[in-house]
Amino acid sequence: MFVHKLHLSRRTVLKGVGATLALPFLDAMVPALTAQARTAAAPRKRLACIYIPHGVILDQWTPETSGADFEFKSILKPIEPFRQQVTVVTNLLRPERGIDTNHAGAPSSWLTGVPPKRTAGPDFSLGATLDQVVAQEIGQETTLPSLELATEDFTGLVGDCSPGFSCAYMNTLSWKNATTPLPMEINPRLVFERLFGGGATREARMARIKTDRSLLDFVAGDLKQLEAGIGTRDKARLEEYVDHVREIERRVQLAERRTDSLIDVPEAPVGVPESFEEHARLMFDFMAVAFEADLTRVSAFMLTRELSQRTYPNIGVTQPHHTISHHGNKPDQIEAHAKVNLYHAGLLAKFLERLQKTADGGGSLLDHSLVLYGSGMGNGNVHAADHLPTLLVGGAAGALKGNRHVVAPDRTPNGNMLLSVAEKMGVNMDSFGSSTGRVAL
Amino acid sequence: MKFRLAAVLAFCAVWGGSAQVRRGGPSLSDVALAKAEGPPLRTELRQTLDKYCAGCHNARVKTSATAGGVVLNDVDLAAVAKDPVLWEKVVRKLRTGAMPPAGMPRPEPAAHAALVTYLETTLDQEAAAHPNPGRSGPHRLNRAEYANAVRDLLALDVDTATLLPPDDSADGFDNIADVLGASPALLERYLSAATKISALAVGSPSITAEQETYRIRGDASQTGQNEELPAGTRGGLLARHLFPLDGEYTFKVKLWMTNLGSVRGLEDTHQLEISVDGERVLLAPVGSEKEYTDAVKNATDVVNLLEARLQARVFVKAGERPVGVAFLAKTATLGDTRLQNFRRSTLIATDHRGVPHVESVTISGPFNPKGPGDTASRRAVFTCPPSPSGLRRDDRACARTIVSRLARRAYRRPVTDADLAPLMKFYDDGRREQGFERGVEAALRGILVSPKFLLRVERPPSPRLRRASAGDELSPISDIDLASRLSFFLWSSIPDDELIDLASRGQLSRPPVLDAQVKRMLRDPRSSALVDNFAAQWLHARNLRNATPDKGDFPDFDDNLRQAFERELKLFVASIIREDRNVLDLMTADYTFVNERLAQHYGIPNVYGPQFRRVRLADDARKGLLGKGAVLLVTSHADRTSPVVRGKWILDNLLGAPPPAPPAVVPPLDDSAAAATLTMRQRMEKHRENPVCASCHKVMDPIGLALENFDAIGRWRDLDGESPIDASGVLTDGTKVRGAVDLRQALLERPEVLVGTMSEKLLTYALGRGLEATDMPAVRTVVRDASRDGYRFSALVKGVVTSTPFRMRRKDKES
Repeated sequence: MFVHKLHLSRRTVLKGVGATLALPFLDAMVPALTAQARTAAAPRKRLACIYIPHGVILDQWTPETSGADFEFKSILKPIEPFRQQVTVVTNLLRPERGIDTNHAGAPSSWLTGVPPKRTAGPDFSLGATLDQVVAQEIGQETTLPSLELATEDFTGLVGDCSPGFSCAYMNTLSWKNATTPLPMEINPRLVFERLFGGGATREARMARIKTDRSLLDFVAGDLKQLEAGIGTRDKARLEEYVDHVREIERRVQLAERRTDSLIDVPEAPVGVPESFEEHARLMFDFMAVAFEADLTRVSAFMLTRELSQRTYPNIGVTQPHHTISHHGNKPDQIEAHAKVNLYHAGLLAKFLERLQKTADGGGSLLDHSLVLYGSGMGNGNVHAADHLPTLLVGGAAGALKGNRHVVAPDRTPNGNMLLSVAEKMGVNMDSFGSSTGRVAL
Repeated sequence: MKFRLAAVLAFCAVWGGSAQVRRGGPSLSDVALAKAEGPPLRTELRQTLDKYCAGCHNARVKTSATAGGVVLNDVDLAAVAKDPVLWEKVVRKLRTGAMPPAGMPRPEPAAHAALVTYLETTLDQEAAAHPNPGRSGPHRLNRAEYANAVRDLLALDVDTATLLPPDDSADGFDNIADVLGASPALLERYLSAATKISALAVGSPSITAEQETYRIRGDASQTGQNEELPAGTRGGLLARHLFPLDGEYTFKVKLWMTNLGSVRGLEDTHQLEISVDGERVLLAPVGSEKEYTDAVKNATDVVNLLEARLQARVFVKAGERPVGVAFLAKTATLGDTRLQNFRRSTLIATDHRGVPHVESVTISGPFNPKGPGDTASRRAVFTCPPSPSGLRRDDRACARTIVSRLARRAYRRPVTDADLAPLMKFYDDGRREQGFERGVEAALRGILVSPKFLLRVERPPSPRLRRASAGDELSPISDIDLASRLSFFLWSSIPDDELIDLASRGQLSRPPVLDAQVKRMLRDPRSSALVDNFAAQWLHARNLRNATPDKGDFPDFDDNLRQAFERELKLFVASIIREDRNVLDLMTADYTFVNERLAQHYGIPNVYGPQFRRVRLADDARKGLLGKGAVLLVTSHADRTSPVVRGKWILDNLLGAPPPAPPAVVPPLDDSAAAATLTMRQRMEKHRENPVCASCHKVMDPIGLALENFDAIGRWRDLDGESPIDASGVLTDGTKVRGAVDLRQALLERPEVLVGTMSEKLLTYALGRGLEATDMPAVRTVVRDASRDGYRFSALVKGVVTSTPFRMRRKDKES
């Protein structure tokens, strides 16, 4: 009698956010007449790295012809509307150095171009990921240098998630350096708070900002009172606080301008939505809004996780994704896997559409973004490290041409591609991961 | 390279003897000797120094003996008081028997005693004549203090780990003023924490639904009863959840899944129960033959089915309430397919059989809130009713009463109009816009972000004290500041009304009053902060949560054992404090606290059930800190013991003689397969063949090797692999030890060194700053006075709170 599955919490939790969120949410976040929207000069570049697990059904993904005007295969059909800004890259290989790193190597090598160190213990070691390298360069002026998101929570697992390999390799796409994995946020509520601060509604947030300002005035006043009558030595320590108060005042002013320009912000989500689709779309929305409001310029999103056991009954896939990815060449399983691939690409397309429709400094957000989408496996059936499905979408502020299928020499290290993507983002390096050269994007 | 090697060797030699535990050293009663001070004595001491020390500590010799500035060939023993930094170094080496190094001639005990006594007495007399309280300055509340202050002020337990960033620590503790810095990010967190806490305290209508997940560690076994849950249940967890408003809440349980995503233990039917405040809100079946076979076909379908089944939505009244999630106990068997010969039930991540385990419970809400309800925190805040007339003027009088009382506690002193004016403005604005309670909430938020709350800034002494100490460079701290120093030391929290009352009447510093207050504070449950914050850091118990023994080598180890270790250590230290025992009982007590799990681990018979109880220890080796699983685990590596870490732990935390950090040239211990056949002792001996290693390791290793009968998870063993354990060693002063009991006895030969180290740690923690040479006379006074009172814990505390650094302040230039 106490069980009220889904509907109450969903209605309350997702009021205005999930299904009804869609465009109003985003439009709401448009800082209509902020300085940023008016500036046309030197567009800011954004990088989004989006990961799908278990590879794809390659013959329904890889275009038949190379170069321009290729034909979009079935899985990539949802992306076709963005053709002029799409680059498909084929024949990439993630390094393995002799051992099958399987479900741990796929996500961890994807943005590093190096294989994970084989260990189930806390002495894991990998390398800095592309998103973090780029964030070092372009992420320092924004509130958040980068945003790390995921949908599937496996933090309860300890030890090895994939035989011989630490869970750390599978829990995140993002590594600050070889030994510092960055946790990915799963709870949309916490993402919301990181981006917009507390306060469930716009009114609440405006009130909060107002309160913060008066609180800061108060803190400054109390500091002055504290300083009166104490010695110079102690006073010097308090001055430090005074400086910090000034800094926050500056930030609060920025937040006020930002919040004030947001027209109609829905309630903050309570937590993780019931439906995967709502969850994923919420995360995509946050990425788009964060780009738009220039809260961050770099994000990494693990759409689902390696070894994901998710089923997709809404598209008729009732077997767990991981199970069907080991399709054993059975036609029905191949079809099911391809359906999931297509469904994921559809979610991506909605994100791209949002970026395209969002004005940003004289163009669209998509014009200034580079969206890297793909998997660390080719043929998931055999944990294949080669033929990694790789898609680049967006103009990268003129750096990326689009409408091209780039066929690299067979088994080109994916580090080559990462190196070239970094270059497009304005980060020039001699090499990256196990790169042996560059991919002409 | 050659020079570097020599330097390293010599450097270590400086420290080389620090672990020596020698019989017949000088004792504190030798102080009397020093009365015979004067030129003849100094001539004699000069000769001792020249003969035994100045050979190496000589300005003409350029070795590491002099590199640290310890030059003794041309020092003036009449001017010892002028250089406490040098002479305290000398005293420490002599006291701990570290110098002269092993193998060098040593003075006769009487000459040794005469020297150390003269030095100590001279330094102590200088300190008495010219007290030096050392540095003090603004002190930010750390996270634990903030949480306790909120608890004491508002009867509200908040999880500050989610509200505030962790604090840095230094000198072994996280309450060190110098490193408790601030940053804009931190102040922002204080702003949002204050907003959240003030809303929770009053049950504000601004509170919206949120979600919180309570997890069980993945390495916890859930085959038995959880101590906090009722008998007749198995596994699960008890979450103390703060329900912010009267309203509906949802509870969702996730079960432990294998790495391939199927719920474990579906082959039999189990009943899962969720309870709130002890009342069942859900009882649902988990597992059946059908679910088991369905899961083989499609695990995810069954996971979804179970997740839908294992949730409840109920109306809950506001306040902190225990939420229990557990299975009803069935028979004690693990299942029908195997007998497992290890204890951890979650060892094999792919194992889908056995019994189901709870992974987490997620509580969301409030939905359809029905008001703030009647909570302890509302009762703590709203101590007077707003006027029934609804007149704003009358409300304001009540609000002012509330705000003054809260501000007085939070600011830890009587409040002034200048304090209240801005707070009442917050109230007035809130009252005008949203009513009385929102007004109080706004004022409370102000209190919680005020630097007067967040920072401990000591005021210059009153004119009376200033006059009394006119001309001096220092003055006693005020009674008000004393109240805070006491409460942050003993409670990690703000003073209570009684302390503030006494302090504001100028009574607190009167010796009988202070004495009675310290006794009262130690009896108060809030003094458990000394266990959680002082002892847990001093003894490294906070590292337990990160200790993860290799599951292949130690398949018995699970979170249940980790938690039992922590409980045992805390209960043990608490018993010393509560019963006001001799602090040396920490080393020797013949009792400990165990539950069934820990008793099995220690080999103690006839202990059943998950509850902890006090037991007598028959096994001599288990007695005291050196036999505690917590200590033995945090001083081990994941796959083996570390005599080095154990030796260092004892040097750092018991002997107060930390060895230097290893030089960069030192190679690690050989962990190769070839070495794996050697015992730990053999591997270390190989390591010590390298002279660079030997110079330091001969100090640390024998201490740690004496504990080799305890394996890396603190279990008794007679064999290391296939070789018998050899727990013998010769300490650098020639004392032979064999095993833990011998080692303990050797350490106890110098009780004043052990108590001195504890006093140093306690004083560091009490002051919130690292100690300096000029603080050492205060430490010696604490030890000396406590020795007359049987080294009772309260005697140490009394010594600390009456010490110069605790009670005095150097004057600062006034503005």
